[in-house]
Amino acid sequence: MYELFKDLGSWLVSSEQWTGPDGIGHRLAEHLQYSLIATVIAAVIALPLGLLIGHTGRGAFLAINLASFGRALPTVGLVVLVFLASGLSMTPVYVALVALAIPSIVTNTYAGMTAVDPEVKDAARGQGMRGRQVLLQVEIPLALPLIMTGLRLALIQVVATATIAAYVSFGGLGRYVFDGLAQRDLVQVLGGAVLVAVVAVVLDLALSGLQRVLFRHRTAA
Amino acid sequence: MTIEWAWISDHAGDLTTLTLSHLQAALTAVLLGLLISLPLAVLAHRVRPLRGFLLGLSNVLFTIPSIAVFVLLLPVSGLTRTTTVIGLTIYTLVVLLRNTVEGLDSVPAKAREAAIAMGTRPLRTLLTVELPLALPVIMAGVRIATVMSISLVSVATYIGDGGLGQLFTDGFQRNFPTPVVVGVVLTLLLALVADALLVAVQYVLTPWTRQRHPKSGKA
Amino acid sequence: MTSNSPMNSPMNRRRILGGLFAAASVPALAACSSGITSLDGQGSGGGSGNGSSADGITIGTANFTENQILGYLYAAVLGAAGVKTKVRPNLGTREILIPALKGGDIDLLPEYQGALLHYLDPKATATEEGEMQNALAVVLPAGLQILPYGKAEDSDAFAVTRETADRFGLSTLADLKKQNGKLVIGAAPEVKKRVVGVVGLKDVYGVEFKEFKSLDSSGPLVKGALKKGDVDVANLFTTDTDIAAEGWVVLTDPKNLIPGQHIVPLIADRKADSTVRKALARLGNALTTEALTELNRQVDKDKKDPEDVANAWAEDHGLRKSAG
Repeated sequence: MYELFKDLGSWLVSSEQWTGPDGIGHRLAEHLQYSLIATVIAAVIALPLGLLIGHTGRGAFLAINLASFGRALPTVGLVVLVFLASGLSMTPVYVALVALAIPSIVTNTYAGMTAVDPEVKDAARGQGMRGRQVLLQVEIPLALPLIMTGLRLALIQVVATATIAAYVSFGGLGRYVFDGLAQRDLVQVLGGAVLVAVVAVVLDLALSGLQRVLFRHRTAA
Repeated sequence: MTIEWAWISDHAGDLTTLTLSHLQAALTAVLLGLLISLPLAVLAHRVRPLRGFLLGLSNVLFTIPSIAVFVLLLPVSGLTRTTTVIGLTIYTLVVLLRNTVEGLDSVPAKAREAAIAMGTRPLRTLLTVELPLALPVIMAGVRIATVMSISLVSVATYIGDGGLGQLFTDGFQRNFPTPVVVGVVLTLLLALVADALLVAVQYVLTPWTRQRHPKSGKA
Repeated sequence: MTSNSPMNSPMNRRRILGGLFAAASVPALAACSSGITSLDGQGSGGGSGNGSSADGITIGTANFTENQILGYLYAAVLGAAGVKTKVRPNLGTREILIPALKGGDIDLLPEYQGALLHYLDPKATATEEGEMQNALAVVLPAGLQILPYGKAEDSDAFAVTRETADRFGLSTLADLKKQNGKLVIGAAPEVKKRVVGVVGLKDVYGVEFKEFKSLDSSGPLVKGALKKGDVDVANLFTTDTDIAAEGWVVLTDPKNLIPGQHIVPLIADRKADSTVRKALARLGNALTTEALTELNRQVDKDKKDPEDVANAWAEDHGLRKSAG
C-alpha cells in the first residue's frame, strides 16, 4: 500500500503527467467541461419541472417516483444503449449524466417549494400578488437554499460518474481509470480516482461556501 | 434499432441467472452496509466530534468513481464476487450512515429519558426504543441504498461480474441492442420491485406510524 | 509526446507494482477464493485454489468475443472428456487475466502465442512458432504452463482505410514513418504500452503518432472510429471479418514486429493432466483460422451466442458429445 501511494505521489507531481493531450491539465478540463454541460442541461430540464410541481402541488407522486426511477437507471446500460442507437459521439455520455442529475434537482426543488410556509404564500396573495409573482418573488427565493443543495448533489454525482466518458473513447479523468484497468496500472487508476474525488470535494465545498455567503443575509434580514 | 423478441425468449434461463446474481450482489451489499453503519451511526450519534468525521468520510468515499474502486480492489480480492460486494457496500454507507444518524436524532429525547427513568439499560433502550422509533428514517435510507446498489451492480461488468451488466458489455461488443434494452428494463424492474417490497416491510415493522396519515385512516 | 519517453519510466513503475502484487495479492487471493463460493451463486467450479481437473476447471476469457468463443470451445471439448467446466466471460485484458490465473481465480485461458510472449518478456525476439513455444516455457511464471499451440492463428493487424492508404502511399508499417507526428492511432488502451503496439512500432519502425486514442480490442469503438476517420490507423484482429467487408488495408510487417499468434492454452499446472491435454490438443488440431473467423462472424454478425456457436462447431467436428 505504501509503495502504491508513493508512486501515486510521483505520478501526480511529474510535470510530464500534467501536459499534453493525455496530461492531467487537459483531462481535468475535459472532465469539468463534461460535468458542467451535463449539470446545466439537467438543470434546464429539472428546475422548471420541480418548480411547477412545487408551485401547483400537483404531480408530487410523479416527482418522487421519477427520483427513484432515475436512481435505478444503470448508467453503463444507458450509455451503451444510446451509443448503439446514435453512434459514436458524446451524446450517450450526456444522456446518461443528465438522467443521473435530474432526480436530485427535481426532488430538492420540489422539497424546497413545499417547505415554504403556506401562510407566507397566503400573505403574499393577500397583498395582491399574482400566482407568477408569488412564485418568483416569494416561493423561489425561500426555496433557493434547497434548490442549490439539489444542484450541488447533482453536480457531485455527475463529476463522479463522468468517468464513463472514457468507456466510449472520450477523455476526462476517467481515461486514467479505464486505461489503468486495461494496463493493470493501479497507480494510474488511483491517480484518476483521487483526482475525481478531489474535484468533487472541492466543487462541493465551493458551492456550499457560496450557499452560505448567499443566504447569510437571510437570518439578518 | 430493433428488438429481437426471439432472443429474449431463447435466453430466459440466462436472464434469470443474471437477474438473481444481480440481486444477490446488491442485497448482500445493503445488508453489509447496514451491519457496518448501524454501530457507526450509534457512535456518531453519541459522540458528537466523531459525527462530522464519519459522515464526511462516507461522503468522500462516495465521490470516488465506482469503476476505480473495483479495480483498486483487484490486488486484494481478485476477479471475484467479493470485489463487487465490497465496492457496492462502500457506496451504500453514505446513505445508510446519514439516514441512521438522522433517524436516531429524530427520536424524541423524552422517549429515551422515559425508558432510562424506568430503569431500562442503555443497550436495551437503544434496541427497543431508539432504533424502532428511528426505523422510518432508517428504512428510507435502506430503500435509497437498495435502489442505488441495484443500478450500480452493472459497473462490475468491467471486472467480469456485474449481473445484468454483462448484457451491456455483450451488446456493446457485438453492436447488438436487444441484450442492452433487456438489461436496462430488468434492472429498473428489479429496483421497483425491491423498493415496493421494502415499503411493505416497513409497513409491517412500524404499525405505530400508520395512524398518523389521516387520509389512509378509515373512519 | 504521449507515452514512450524514457523519463516516464513505466517499466520502473511496473516493476515496483509487480513486486507489490507478488507480495500482497497471492496470499490474499488464495485466502479469498476459498471463501468465494459461498458468496457466488453461480459457483460450480468456483473454488479452484487447488486440486486437479477432477474438481472442475474455471476458464477465464478476455474482453472480446473471439476469446469467449475459444473459452466455450475449450469447455465443449473438456466437457466431452468428462471434465466439469465453468466459463467466465469478459474478465478484461491479459494484464488483468494473468494475475487472476496466478491467484487461482481462473485455471485456464485461451491465449495467443506472440502476444503472451511479449507480455511476459517485452524484449523477446522469437517469431517462429516453435521458438516462441520454447521461449514461453522459459518465461512463464511458476505454476503456469502452456500446452501445444493450435492450428488457428489470430494475429494483430494495423489497418488503414483504402483512402488513407492511397493518400499517403501506405502499404507497410515502415511507410507510416513518412507521416510521423501526423497520424492518429486507435487501439485498446493496453496497446499503448505493449511491444506489439505503440512501443514496438516506435522501436522497430521508428513510427511516432500524433495521438493515441484508447478504444477497444477490434470492437465497435475502434472500427467505428476508423470508418468515421477519427483515427487513421486502427489495431484490429486478422480474424475480424470486417477487414475484408470494409475493404480496409492491413499494413504488412517486413521486419516481423508482429509475432505469430497461434492460439495456445495457458493453464495452471495443477489442472494440466493428460485428459485435459489430450482434449485441448484435439481441438487445437481441428480448429483452423478459417473456422475461427467463421465462428467470429456468426457471433458478431448473426448475433448467435458464443456458447451455442462453439458447441455446434465442436459437435460437427466430433469433439463434443451430442446433447442429451
